[in-house]
Amino acid sequence: MKDLDLIKDILGISLPPDRIEENQQSYKDILEEIKKLRTLDLSNEYPAVVFSLFTPNKEQNDER
Amino acid sequence: MSDNSLWSQPIETLAPKIQKGNLSPVQLIDCLLDRIEKYDGLIKSFVTIGPDIRKQAIDAEKQIKEGRYKGPLHGVPIAVKDNYLTSDMQTKAGTSSEVNFPSEDSFCVAKLREAGAIIIGKTNMKEFAWGGDTPPTRNPWNTDCVPGGSSGGSGAAIAAGFVSAALGSDTGGSIRMPAGLCGTVGLKPTYGLIGRSGIVPHSWSLDHAGPLAATVADTVFVTEALQGYDENDPGNVNIKPQNFSEALGADVKNLKIGICRNHFFEGLETDVEKNVEVAIDDISKLGCEIVEFEVPNLEFGLGAIFAIELASSSAWHDPRIKKGLTSGYQKDVQTLVEIGQFITAIDYLKAEQFRRVLITEFKKIFNDINIIISPTLPLTAWRIGEHMVQIGESSESALAASWRLTYPWNLTGFPALSIPCGYDKKGLPVGLQLAAAPFKEADLFRLAYAYEKKAGWKALRATLKS
Repeated sequence: MKDLDLIKDILGISLPPDRIEENQQSYKDILEEIKKLRTLDLSNEYPAVVFSLFTPNKEQNDER
Repeated sequence: MSDNSLWSQPIETLAPKIQKGNLSPVQLIDCLLDRIEKYDGLIKSFVTIGPDIRKQAIDAEKQIKEGRYKGPLHGVPIAVKDNYLTSDMQTKAGTSSEVNFPSEDSFCVAKLREAGAIIIGKTNMKEFAWGGDTPPTRNPWNTDCVPGGSSGGSGAAIAAGFVSAALGSDTGGSIRMPAGLCGTVGLKPTYGLIGRSGIVPHSWSLDHAGPLAATVADTVFVTEALQGYDENDPGNVNIKPQNFSEALGADVKNLKIGICRNHFFEGLETDVEKNVEVAIDDISKLGCEIVEFEVPNLEFGLGAIFAIELASSSAWHDPRIKKGLTSGYQKDVQTLVEIGQFITAIDYLKAEQFRRVLITEFKKIFNDINIIISPTLPLTAWRIGEHMVQIGESSESALAASWRLTYPWNLTGFPALSIPCGYDKKGLPVGLQLAAAPFKEADLFRLAYAYEKKAGWKALRATLKS
C-alpha cells in the first residue's frame, strides 16, 4: 500500500484525489491555528469531552 | 379596521392590544403577509410560508375572546430557521441536496405553539448552518450587503418588518452575527438552557437554540416560552424555568461591567469602535461600574473551535461524504464538512481541554463581574460576494472576521446577547455584545433593557423599496 493510501485509510478518507488536494489547500490556514493549540501543555486539564457546564439533572442528583 | 403600521410594532406593543381584544391576530397576520408579499421577493428571507396560518390566527382570536389567553406570544406570528423541524412545513436546513428530515415539531417549535404563537414560516439559512452569510438573502438596511449568517433569514425578516421575532441557532455566532448586522436583538443562551431536539445538528457541543427579536422585551417573551426540560437533548439541563420578565426595568446601578481589551477590542472598524465606546459611556451613566481587564490564551480559541466544529460536522455528515453526496452541497460547505476528516483525535481532545481552561478563566472573572461587553462583530455588513474585507490596515476573510468576537462564548457555553448600538456612516447597524456567567440571562436582559431605553436603539426596521 502506498503511503498516501495508508494515511487515507487511517483517517477514513474515501474522497477522490482531486478533492483531497483541494481540501488540503483549504485546510492550510486552519492547520496553522491548530498548530498553535498543539504548543500548549494541557496535560493537567480535564477535557470537556461531552460538554456540560454542570452535571445534567444536577438538582435530582443532589437530592440522592 | 386597517392599520398599516402594525408590521413595525414589536410584540411588547402588539400583545396587550391582542389580549384586550383591540387587535385581531387575523388583522396582524394579514398585514405581515402583505408586507412579505410586497418585499420578500427582494429580501429573500423566507423559504416557506406556513400552510394554514390564517386559520391559526382565527383560532387564536377565538381562544382569546373565550378568555383562554396564553400570554404575550398568543396570536403572534413567529418565524423559525429552516433547521428546526416542523410538522407542517418541509425542513431543508438550507440545502438544495436531497435530504429527508422528519415532519414533526422540534422541541422549540412545540414550545412556541404551546405559547399560542403562529409559526408563520421558515427562514433561509446558510447550508447546514456553515458560515457567516446566507445567500441569497439580502440585508434590508442595504440590499447590496449580506445579512450575516447562518441565521440570516431570521435577522433579515425582523429588520424588514416581516415578523418581530424568529428562531435562530448559534454554533459560533450564527444568532448574534445576523442580529448585529441587521440591527435586531439576538440571544445565544447558556448551553443547556433551551432544548435542541429536532434541530438539524451542526456541532453538538457548540450548538445553541435561541431567538432573534425586535426588542429586548420581545426576546424575553420568546426565551421564557422556550424554557423547559427537553429529555431528548442530552445537553439540556433540567432547571426550573426563570421569570426573565422581572429583569425588565430592574435597577442596574449595582451591576459591574467588564471590558476585555485584548481580543474583543482588536482589529475593529473605526465606526464600530466609536459606537461601542459611546455605548460603554451610556452604560456607565446608568450607574454601572466599568472595569477593564485582559484574559490570557484567547489566541488559541480559533484553533480550538475549528477542531471541534469541523470534526463534529464531518462526523454528522460522514454517511453522506461516504456516499459522495457532499458534491451536491455549496462548494464552500462541501469543503468545510469534508476537511473535518483531517482533525486528529488528539487535536480534538486538546481543543476540549483548552475549552476547560477558558471556562475556568472566565468563571474566575465572573466571580467579580456581572457582564462583559464587547462589539458583536468587528465590522458592519459587507457587500454580497465580497470574500475579503478591509479592516483598518488589515485584509481579512469575511468569514474569519465575522465570528471573531462571538465564538469564545460558544467555546465556554456562557450566555451572550447582541443588541443594536447605533449605525455606521453608511447607515448600517452596529451590534453590542453582552455576556454573563452561566444561567445569568436575567442580568443580560436587565442591562440590555436599561440600555435600550436610554440609547433608543429599539425596534429598528429598515425602509424598503419594492
